[in-house]
Amino acid sequence: MTTVTITSIPFIRFFRREGIGILWLIGLIFGIVLPILTVLLWAFAIKWRYPSVLPTEWGLDFWMETLSRADIRRALPNSIALSVLVTVLSAVICLPASFAFARLQFRGKQGLLLSFLFTNAFPRFGLYIAIAVIFFRFKLVGTFAGVVVIQLLNTLLLMIWIPTAAFQGVDRALEEAGLDVGASPLQVFIQITLPMVFPALFAALLLTFVNTFYETYGALLIGAPNVLTIPVIMFPLINNQPIPQFGAILSLVLFAPSVVLLLFANRLLRGGYLTAGFGV
Amino acid sequence: MTASQTEPAPHSKSRFSTVLPYLLVAPPILMVFGLIFFPALQSTLRTLTDAETGAFSLARYEMFFADKTSVTSLIFTIQIALESLLGLFVICFPLALYLRFNTSRIATGVQMISLLPMFVPGIMSAYALIRFVRGRGLFETLIYQVSPLLADAYYSPYVKPEGIVIGLIWEAIPFTVLILLAGLRQLDNGLIESAQDIGANRWYIFTRIILPLMRRSILIAFCLNFISMFGAYTIPYLLGPAAPQTMGVLMQRTLQDYQQPLEAETQAVITFLICSLVGLVYVQSVSGERVRKG
Amino acid sequence: MSTLSLHQIRKQFGDVVAVHEMNLHVNHGEFLCILGPSGCGKSTALRMIAGFEEPTAGDIRIDDRSIGMLPPNKRPTAMVFQKYTLWPHMRVYENIAFGLRLHGFSRKDIDEKVKGALELVGLPAYGKRFPSQLSGGEQQRIALARALVLQPKILLLDEPFSNLDALLRVRLREELRRIQRQVNITAIFVTHDQEEALSLADRIAVMNKGRIEQLDHPSRIYEQPQTLFVADFIGVMNLLPAHQDGGEIIIGSYRMPVPSGNEYSGDVTLAVRPEDLAIVPSGSDAAWNGQVEHVIDLGHYRKVLVRTEHMGVLKVYLPKAVDVREATTLALQPTRYTIFRDHQTPIEVHAGSVPQLSLQGMA
Repeated sequence: MTTVTITSIPFIRFFRREGIGILWLIGLIFGIVLPILTVLLWAFAIKWRYPSVLPTEWGLDFWMETLSRADIRRALPNSIALSVLVTVLSAVICLPASFAFARLQFRGKQGLLLSFLFTNAFPRFGLYIAIAVIFFRFKLVGTFAGVVVIQLLNTLLLMIWIPTAAFQGVDRALEEAGLDVGASPLQVFIQITLPMVFPALFAALLLTFVNTFYETYGALLIGAPNVLTIPVIMFPLINNQPIPQFGAILSLVLFAPSVVLLLFANRLLRGGYLTAGFGV
Repeated sequence: MTASQTEPAPHSKSRFSTVLPYLLVAPPILMVFGLIFFPALQSTLRTLTDAETGAFSLARYEMFFADKTSVTSLIFTIQIALESLLGLFVICFPLALYLRFNTSRIATGVQMISLLPMFVPGIMSAYALIRFVRGRGLFETLIYQVSPLLADAYYSPYVKPEGIVIGLIWEAIPFTVLILLAGLRQLDNGLIESAQDIGANRWYIFTRIILPLMRRSILIAFCLNFISMFGAYTIPYLLGPAAPQTMGVLMQRTLQDYQQPLEAETQAVITFLICSLVGLVYVQSVSGERVRKG
Repeated sequence: MSTLSLHQIRKQFGDVVAVHEMNLHVNHGEFLCILGPSGCGKSTALRMIAGFEEPTAGDIRIDDRSIGMLPPNKRPTAMVFQKYTLWPHMRVYENIAFGLRLHGFSRKDIDEKVKGALELVGLPAYGKRFPSQLSGGEQQRIALARALVLQPKILLLDEPFSNLDALLRVRLREELRRIQRQVNITAIFVTHDQEEALSLADRIAVMNKGRIEQLDHPSRIYEQPQTLFVADFIGVMNLLPAHQDGGEIIIGSYRMPVPSGNEYSGDVTLAVRPEDLAIVPSGSDAAWNGQVEHVIDLGHYRKVLVRTEHMGVLKVYLPKAVDVREATTLALQPTRYTIFRDHQTPIEVHAGSVPQLSLQGMA
């Protein structure tokens, strides 16, 4: 005679094994996914009356209206130009340095490398105030250049840390093998070293671009009201606007580059790029 | 032996190759020192001197502490930061433990979702949370589906201190989970198995093996989150009450709305000083590890 | 014809001398092993030949042309490294073709040469794979193909098999030897594994502390070690501290004659291979008496540890037919031994006619 024990029912067995995981999943969907989903829904809603779970009227009408606003038409190119410029400059400034940190021997190397980590010990907002005081004197407040500099500071650590680790990670023997078959040091660098660090460099550039695209404090303190970026013009739109769609649509515009990042999320995670530069 | 004793090629350690590394690292280093350490130091010194005589003076601090709004802000900010940290660890510690010891597809899903806030722009997070938790937001709507009565009793944290706490926790979850996980991954399964082998129970394993090994990750997560919460602006400004304000909001108002850079600077330096307490712990734990690794 | 010679090569890192004035001549088509413990300078020597390290002094010549001033990419040498150094971002084909492209070969020539090299190492169908899809042994074979495809004058191998498991190591060893003979290339192979060196090499250079201790054919390295280090490092050896008094060796209460012409007074070391200790009837004059402490069965023979009064524990190899057990008392006599004195040519002694105990007599 066979007795059906409760644990032999597949669902119960599954829940016993995965119960905690399922609870976490439900909790995080409520806490994290639903708020993000709210934004998405609002962006495509024309009307959303309480207590309807979904928008009562759907449509793209507000997209036209949002994207044709004068302030947004000014801010979007600003944001893009700023992000591109900062990414390029950051690479130019930091990549040679990270190569030096990874490969060359010099006195004080460890200390200098650590000094980048120490910048984490300053609260960002207070720091920008202190920098703003200096920028006032150099008339950099309210200029594009001023915002570029402040954003560079913001991404410096990332752009030093990820490539340095990547260059350190390339096995010297692989480069020697290149020399051995007749490649010049430059050929070795271009054809062997660079392709091997490429994923890390790509991650660093992508993270720099996205971080600059989002960045709010520096742009607000140094750029406003002359140089406006998308995050900065969102403040009044979120706070004082009776129309929630503006904020929702701009949020999605701001989120767009992150989608690219999300596609690489797994690799970013495995490469340790998401916590690079915090001394973990 | 008549070996042709060629002189070794003179080791080409030219001046250039000694200077080259410094030339390469100079630009970012100059930026860090010129635009982070120097302004911070300069601001600190300036707040301690009299603008006219240049003599040592605590006048600017006396002004700060005489102002009730400022002091309230400071206390409020510390309170918010500590409450958020507490909430953050209550959520992230068990989450990290769960993720460390589970590899199922559900665990992978949990991990991906827990990282999501990292990819969301700060201002979008604020906006999303506002839309979600405010009165008649999606959260209340969902409660309404369960029971309209319950929805009437819904207390929205929007524009309340709780709103800031929720927002700060929300933004800090991914980073904290990653740091704690990094710490947990350093501990070998064999270590735990051998403890179980000699009959240690879960509590013992947790307190005697897991916690001590995670000391560093916990410290780093604590310090970095404290500093970033202390200097937060977007979330407190958008989700918090009009008064009291956190230091971030206060500084921005003082600088831009009231056009008082000197006062804003004093406030900034006070945040530096408070954060420097945990900052030192962070610096010490990071450099200690680096030196040990060699 | 490609020969390699090192003249008074020296390498110093700061205050540490890694290689002391080293001289070495390798003939065309010869397979030379540099054997030594880790840190003995063998890899440094090889890296100087390849050009990765610059000698502090001395000259390196290939076919009597000095290459000391050439950077590694201009030297006619090719190296197979200890770690699998295939470039992970290139397919196997590209890995092998990389050097050929740099040398400006036509596409057709490259294709032909790469295919030839793949066939040579027995992996003709592997061109399209990525290194990460290969096993360790396959990766090392491709690395060998990559080195050989450029037709270097000298092939350098830096412990290429040390990351592989024992069985594979033996197979690849044989294959390497076959390929080396087939393409008739001069090869220098660095290893710390004496079995590998003994089975591969035409000649072995045993290195210790930056110096070549002995350069000889494998059998001579084993049979006639010229220094105490070589005697100890190669194979198993009983090293017995002793005293020489004129024409006699005194070891504990035993006295042994020294061939005439080798009179000396002072401390010496007696080296006896475990297979050179024979069982003699107990009670015979010169026999070393001891008690069996441990018997290890090694398949076709037994390793027996015998505790003696004056010489500590002796390692003895005995055929399986000899029945020994723990606590048995044995009388041993060396049939062959070598006497080492400081900085002098060692003296080899064959004991000639030592009476052997019949097996029945033992029981």
